[in-house]
Amino acid sequence: MIAIDKFCYASRLRYVNASEKFALAVITLLICIAGQSFVISAAVLAAMGVLTVRKGGLPFSRYGKMLLWPLGFLVLSTLAIAVNLSGTPLDLFAVPVGEWYITGSAAGAVRAARLIVTALAGVSCLYFLSLSTPMTDILTVLGYCRCPKLIIELMLLIYRFIFVLLDIASAITTAQNARLGNKDFRTAYHSFGQMASALLLRAFKKSNALYDAMEARCYDGAIRVLKEDYPPKAREIAAIAVFEFVLLILLAGRLTGWVM
Amino acid sequence: MKKTEKRTVALAAVFALTFGIAPAANAMHIMEGYLPVQYCVIWGILCIPFLAAGFFSIRRTMNEHRKTVILLAMSGAFIFVISSLKIPSVISGSCSHMTGTGLGALLFGPAAVSVLGIIVLLFQAMLLAHGGLTTLGANTFSMAIAGPFVSYGVFWLLKKCHVNRRVGIFLAAALGDLFTYCVTSFQLAICYPSEAGGIGASLIKFLGVFAPTQIPLAVIEGLITVAVMIGLEAYASPELKELRFIGEEK
Repeated sequence: MIAIDKFCYASRLRYVNASEKFALAVITLLICIAGQSFVISAAVLAAMGVLTVRKGGLPFSRYGKMLLWPLGFLVLSTLAIAVNLSGTPLDLFAVPVGEWYITGSAAGAVRAARLIVTALAGVSCLYFLSLSTPMTDILTVLGYCRCPKLIIELMLLIYRFIFVLLDIASAITTAQNARLGNKDFRTAYHSFGQMASALLLRAFKKSNALYDAMEARCYDGAIRVLKEDYPPKAREIAAIAVFEFVLLILLAGRLTGWVM
Repeated sequence: MKKTEKRTVALAAVFALTFGIAPAANAMHIMEGYLPVQYCVIWGILCIPFLAAGFFSIRRTMNEHRKTVILLAMSGAFIFVISSLKIPSVISGSCSHMTGTGLGALLFGPAAVSVLGIIVLLFQAMLLAHGGLTTLGANTFSMAIAGPFVSYGVFWLLKKCHVNRRVGIFLAAALGDLFTYCVTSFQLAICYPSEAGGIGASLIKFLGVFAPTQIPLAVIEGLITVAVMIGLEAYASPELKELRFIGEEK
């Protein structure tokens, strides 16, 4: 199953007002990438880490591992940014390779480091949101933001179907493994093709059955469900406002140059 | 050793080498927080016309066939599930995922895929931490618009030229994937031009760094898309017709 979804339903912040959490995550994220600064990123990383682990109750080791998920992309692209292949050596380091140099500048290294910290802080914001707010709550917030009804409906259905299809796919894969269907590349490739086509076929059957069931219950193009409402608390709003205000001051400082 | 045995060993060696270098070959989502604000906005705006076209076409069909929305939702979930499952690779322990762009484009047509794509990418960001909220625009442009359009165009062109169907599907999926990888590299390069050589040099660096993971992935994606399409044509031709019918309606 999907780990983030599981943890999110178990989070202690699950019943906090969803709009609050959404606003906190998105505004912080924007300030964080607008600033690209060490101080702001460190503050965001710390605040989001504390919120997710301390308040949310996610085990710290899990959180640490999750932060490392996008490491592959981070390492490769930062490498591409910081390291140059050039005819003239730059100031930080230069390794001669034949006529050329594998080289980097000090400014480039600082920029790369800044980018790594910013990206990690961004990921921590994303994790705060996705590890505390179930998808259905986020859809409600998107509804408040005037996202078209059709899209929200589509998302609600897709979210539901993802789990239905994952179940089917894992059952088929288990059956294939039991019959040595993944013993080498050739069989695995064949099995994956068969599994995917069987999956689409099942998806079709399920969607037909579901449509019939919904039609029988007077479906007229809109799915109406009761919303659970958790009113925002004044204390939480005040805390968020103070935090964002501090970040904005830091951002102003970064733009005028007295914050790193 | 017999000739076929030798060939198999050689092929396995090539695969092993490519996968040895690339232990984790994921699709190339730009991670959260990696793009400056102005580029996040620009790529988001570039996506809007495509998304609007997709949205209006879906709404039009919706009004005539209400069942479509359920079918579309299943299709979106299908793309998500396919792209979240591990795909076979030679060395066990290495893990790679399909992008599903080519398959989606061939099954549902490029217009519907743009809307489904942005939803799937949002779910991937929220549930799997692949990609992110601020980079959603850039990722949507490369994976749900540019890639599928190339896939669809290549498939259509090769069909017109009466090239073998399987070759057509393979090339459509593989080239769509490669194009996605080029667009993503370009997106990164214009944000972070190289100190020695500018955007061009930076583009070459990004292309080079991701080549060991993305090129084998494109080949595998092509092979698997062929396998899936063959399976679908064998077992699900009425359903395929239904999908194509929806595609034409849009």
